[in-house]
Amino acid sequence: MKEKTGFGGRIQAFKSLEPKDRRLWYKEFFINNSLYLFLFAAIIAIEIVDPMFLSVPSIVNIISLSAANLPIALGIAGCIILTGTDLSAGRIVGFTACVAASLLQASGYPNKMFPGLATMPIWLVFLIVVAIGALVGTVNGFCTAKFHLHPFIVTLATQLILYGVLLMYLMNGNNNGQSISGLDAGYDQFIKGSFLKIGKTPIPNFVFYVMIITLIMWFIWNKTKFGKNMFAVGSNPEAANVSGVNVTATIILVFMLAGIMYGVTGFIEAARIGSNSATTGLNYELDAIAACVIGGVSFVGGIGKIRGVIMGVVLLRIIFVGLTFLSIDANMQYVIKGLIILIACAIDMRKYLVRK
Amino acid sequence: MKIKCLCLALAICAGLACLTGCGCSKENKSGADVHVFYYTYSDPYISSVRSALSKKLQEAGLSVQEYDSNNSQTTQTEQVQTAITKGAKMIVVNIVTTGSDDASSGIVRMAKDAGIPVVFFNREVSDSVVNSYDKCAFVGTNAAEAGYLQGDMVGDYVAENYDKVDLNGDGRISYVLFMGEQGNNEAIYRTKYSVENANKKLTAASKNELVFYDSSNTDGYLLDKEGKWSAQAANEYMTTALTSYNAANDNMIELIICNNDNMAEGAITALQTSGFNTGVEGATTIPVFGVDATDAAKELIKAGKMAGTIKQDADGMATALAKTAKNGIEEKALLDDMNDYTIDQNTAKVRIPYGIYLGEE
Repeated sequence: MKEKTGFGGRIQAFKSLEPKDRRLWYKEFFINNSLYLFLFAAIIAIEIVDPMFLSVPSIVNIISLSAANLPIALGIAGCIILTGTDLSAGRIVGFTACVAASLLQASGYPNKMFPGLATMPIWLVFLIVVAIGALVGTVNGFCTAKFHLHPFIVTLATQLILYGVLLMYLMNGNNNGQSISGLDAGYDQFIKGSFLKIGKTPIPNFVFYVMIITLIMWFIWNKTKFGKNMFAVGSNPEAANVSGVNVTATIILVFMLAGIMYGVTGFIEAARIGSNSATTGLNYELDAIAACVIGGVSFVGGIGKIRGVIMGVVLLRIIFVGLTFLSIDANMQYVIKGLIILIACAIDMRKYLVRK
Repeated sequence: MKIKCLCLALAICAGLACLTGCGCSKENKSGADVHVFYYTYSDPYISSVRSALSKKLQEAGLSVQEYDSNNSQTTQTEQVQTAITKGAKMIVVNIVTTGSDDASSGIVRMAKDAGIPVVFFNREVSDSVVNSYDKCAFVGTNAAEAGYLQGDMVGDYVAENYDKVDLNGDGRISYVLFMGEQGNNEAIYRTKYSVENANKKLTAASKNELVFYDSSNTDGYLLDKEGKWSAQAANEYMTTALTSYNAANDNMIELIICNNDNMAEGAITALQTSGFNTGVEGATTIPVFGVDATDAAKELIKAGKMAGTIKQDADGMATALAKTAKNGIEEKALLDDMNDYTIDQNTAKVRIPYGIYLGEE
């Protein structure tokens, strides 16, 4: 069944349906979009309980929280499209955050890791952490592609290695295992400062950086040969290989791109939270994976859209903020989050089975 | 059928959300007054503070909203940010990151921008952070005191029972120390002063100083590498150590000092697997010391399976916190009418005293 594209086409297709089929269509529509409907209902319910929920500061808060979590999810989405996963994502974020923070500590800060280091240019540090992310990603991709290991195993291993390296790194110089803070004001301002305000509410700069990065990712996924190859390899590596796609190179590139995204996340995270330790980034990948699957990036492979990932990330943040506004017990929040992930995946799988 | 199940599940989900939501909002239509952020719900001591504090705040007529940061500074910062956009009138924070100022000063800045008071508790923030805002205070203990007291307790106990503790009769007591977290001041002080003070007491009683069981370990402690002060870490270390240091080799570890009761419990479980500290008639009991006086530790002490612990006064801390919160909401000075507490000289830091717990009460 080929889906009709274009809005007009869809309306025509709908009009040509028999009444019985129309009922089925409604039913399908409600099930397939139940998450969006649920989200919409939830927003209205929360707004009724606490009108502050849709105030400007609160919306900016949701946007900035989502933005901070978006790049890592965009990175991991590529791995999921290849039917893989990436357990090292959080640790890469943690490591790159610590490196970025240590290189950009304010000069004269008493516990500065490298006391002799002058303030480095921000762009240089950005390139360094992105390169580190890309390097680890390449190792992940290389082992996955060349040795035909499942990414679960590969990234489980690299995650451990990286944690060990991070612990050693934290013992460097004057730092002695403490968390890295005392960041340079310029860096702080670059990430957390804001050149645009809505009313009195400042929008942190990193939101705009994330927007640019999301656009680039959209372009890579949809408009480049590499993007098309990624989906081809994800849905059927053998078929892709036969039709002349370099599967090995594609896998390595997907993981490298993911690594770059983690580096970007780490770079933002370091200044956003301001205190970077061995626990920074821990388990971030779990939220990112959850966001992807909620947004319809399927573990079946070859299926996923940028807008789905964005929607997944935003949904998770709205749950986080919404449950706070509803004053729901913290214990209950874990239960609700778990249920939503489970339901989202069940709906997603159902769509796939229907298509099959 | 499947579809119905799904819809039902979604409905239940929504229902749960409403139920719990409405339950709270009935108490106070304008939302909670006091927002309390705990670094993790899984810490038993923090849990005892939590139950005491929420009771005391409600008695004072204030509504409370509680948060679990699950040991992540990111989560906590985001929660504080969200609570402030929600219109919190007062925030009480059990900060995740200690040992560096950026996280705490970030929270103070957010509170300052919103013009609301902020009280930190339990996990210490630096003087400069507290002094940077007139509506900021700290309620906690003197971190070093627990270490001193634990050392005194261990020293007194060992000096009194030297021959009984010295299992192999070599005139030296070999000990192991479990450290909860690297870079955490409380862990550092407890690790350092417990042994130092115990040795002082032993020297005063003209006995030999304590010896770390593994001479190749120059740190003098075993660290929970995940920084969770966990029973699991202590248990795994202890089980491993017992394979080469045991009664059969005549080099049994004779004394166990732990940074907290959780780790003490883990160590005791490991000992019990090897037939020690079972409380059974005739079984050897290795003295184990902790800090916190959790309910589980008190039970173990009562049953003779653990030697002693240091009591952090959860109730006392909750009382002091509730008082500051009430002051904050009534827009008085945070430490108004709290002269009977020990307060630091130049900083708004309230110190709740520790006590030795050996099973009395």
